[in-house]
Amino acid sequence: MDETMKTALGHLRIIDLTHYMAGPYCAKLMAGFGAEVIKIERPGTGDGLRGLGPFYRDKADGEHSIPFLWLNTGKKSVTLNLKSERGIAIFKELIREADVVLENFAPRVMPSLGVGYDVIRDVNPRIVMTSISNFGQSGPYRDYKTEEIVTYALSGQMSLTGDPDRPPLASGPALCQYSAGQHAYVATLMALFQRSGTGDGQQVDVSILECALESVEMAVTNSIHLGKTARRAKHVIAPWDLYPCSDGYAAVISGPFRHWSKGAEIFQEPKLLDPKFRHVIDRITHRDEVEALILPWLRTQTKEAVFLAGQEHRLGFGFLADFEKVRKLPQHQRRGFFVAMEHPAVGTHDYCGAPFKMHQTPWQNARAPLLGEHNREVYGDGLGFSPAEMDTLGRKGVI
Amino acid sequence: MWFQVNRNKFSVTLDLAEEKDREILRDLVGISDVLLENSRGGVMSKLGCRYEDLVKLRNDLIMVSMPAFGATGPYASFAGYGATIESVGGIQNLTGYHAGGKPHRVREMDVTSGVMGACAVMTGLMHRNRTGEGQYIDVSQLEAVTHGTIGEHLLAHAMHGNMNDPLGNRHRRFAPQGCYRCREEDNWLTLSIRSEEEWHSLCRVLGHPEWAADPRFSCNDARRRNHDEIDRLIEAWTIGRPHRDAFLTLQAAGIPAGAVLSVSEVGDDPHLAARGYFLNAEDGTEKRFMGMPFRFSRDPGRVRWRGPDLGRHNRLVVCDLLGRPPEDIPPVTETDIGTAFDPE
Repeated sequence: MDETMKTALGHLRIIDLTHYMAGPYCAKLMAGFGAEVIKIERPGTGDGLRGLGPFYRDKADGEHSIPFLWLNTGKKSVTLNLKSERGIAIFKELIREADVVLENFAPRVMPSLGVGYDVIRDVNPRIVMTSISNFGQSGPYRDYKTEEIVTYALSGQMSLTGDPDRPPLASGPALCQYSAGQHAYVATLMALFQRSGTGDGQQVDVSILECALESVEMAVTNSIHLGKTARRAKHVIAPWDLYPCSDGYAAVISGPFRHWSKGAEIFQEPKLLDPKFRHVIDRITHRDEVEALILPWLRTQTKEAVFLAGQEHRLGFGFLADFEKVRKLPQHQRRGFFVAMEHPAVGTHDYCGAPFKMHQTPWQNARAPLLGEHNREVYGDGLGFSPAEMDTLGRKGVI
Repeated sequence: MWFQVNRNKFSVTLDLAEEKDREILRDLVGISDVLLENSRGGVMSKLGCRYEDLVKLRNDLIMVSMPAFGATGPYASFAGYGATIESVGGIQNLTGYHAGGKPHRVREMDVTSGVMGACAVMTGLMHRNRTGEGQYIDVSQLEAVTHGTIGEHLLAHAMHGNMNDPLGNRHRRFAPQGCYRCREEDNWLTLSIRSEEEWHSLCRVLGHPEWAADPRFSCNDARRRNHDEIDRLIEAWTIGRPHRDAFLTLQAAGIPAGAVLSVSEVGDDPHLAARGYFLNAEDGTEKRFMGMPFRFSRDPGRVRWRGPDLGRHNRLVVCDLLGRPPEDIPPVTETDIGTAFDPE
């Protein structure tokens, strides 16, 4: 981390108890915008994600987990056993000078360890404690376990993914986890912003399920307000889908509608310009016909040529890029979206860089930590433990 | 739908092609903390509303632009919808019934972008709060959804060149995981078994505790090899039950399971009801609203009013807030207003 760069969150210290994905993505965002994120991990195994692959070169030793390396950039790692009394005492010392505690344990866990919000508030009333859990800190599902597919199913998203005549389909990316991480980031900053007025912290209750509901906000609302239940279906408007080209798929998107009449000329099919297809409602009614009319020209073109032709005609065309293409995309290249970072275990590779570009306080890129890499710095320099004390604590399994 | 997505907002109509309305916008910027926009690259410049122009009106302005592809680069002026970005971003490759099958869209790119915009606004406000300094923030929707959904997949590709083929409803590592047909039409149950303990619990619930020791199923690798067989055995159980019953029975046994709820079932969900998740609007709108994605112990969040009618707050903003005379209130007439559905 470049200490001289101006950052938006460089004045904040985050004690990060999160593990797996949702919490760590929130903490990653905080670290990237400059906060000091002290990630507390279990001695020995660390964050459970270290043991989940895929692994770099199939090495499953805790320092080669690809999702871990991505989700934990910019953080410091200390080991601490929260199931020991001494460990809890050290945790309380750490939070004395902190601004935020982030955790994503099952709701019973923090109180059962003796560090529920009421205790944390007594130690430091300025703390914002953001608690991320599957279903929130209350309710009949509070203690239920999930996997990404389960949350995606319970949120209504899965009922809308896949083909109408086939089973509902899980999402490839872990959307619910990442969405909760983003929301937790916004919520934590809102609580900190409020703190700057009142001086006091508070607890923030982030339910992964309730964050996921944001992605079906319109459909759930249409159900409540209009009694309509959306189901898996092709996109209503045509054309608005992937269609086959000579070398793959182009996303032929017929919007903005006011540009369609002119844009439809690119398909070199005079029938498409017929007034009976002019209004979007007509194209919905005659969808199969419209889609059949665009296919012949598409088959003669590469997907990228189609993408550029559509955009030249001010339509929002795309093309299905594989990851090789994505990494070489001129847009990503010119904007420097990918950054090379070195890591002692896996070497140098390209990571996605900034989630957005702030002109005064840009995103900082720094690698993920090794397990316990910052024990000396945080416990020694920070809390004043001598090397001998730290050895003893290590042998006792406290750190 | 408008009522929900635009709750608690004020609505003002301004035709930014008109200089008199651009003046009103400039007045508004002068008293505002943040300007948020998502036009294609070049549009704000044509309107004389680049950050460089507006920061003269308010030197600590935070301006957040959210164009589809970003404010710079060869695609800056391109149009982009969720479908555009999901394909160009490579995200759509990851969801499908099987490797090599048709790529499917997921729910929901626009929301990921939108929330990333909120992240940008709050980060800008934190900096301004401490230093008094505003700034310009460029949120490329393409970059936002890439960072916010597939960073790990791209890193795996950078390291190994692999493509992360879709697996349908299966887990990359653990077995069994899947989506199983239940008794009623289009009712399904998902479940995921990640440990021997969860597998043993599942065997008991299915009424076959002996499967725990069956060599076909007695470790994760064996279960992966025999996944099709296990799927049949699970579906033989789920097919006799309503999906919510199956979900509750499995969760009671400590198994990660979830009914695939329809969007109307979400509206009736007892957990969300117990959480007080759905809210009434304080303006007396009859129907319930979806609530907040997070809640603060100090203030849980409210729906003050439903999404406003077009231009409802013109007088409030132009006269009461900006102190301008009534003649300056932009008119709102049906004939002046086209819609996005019009062919030209």
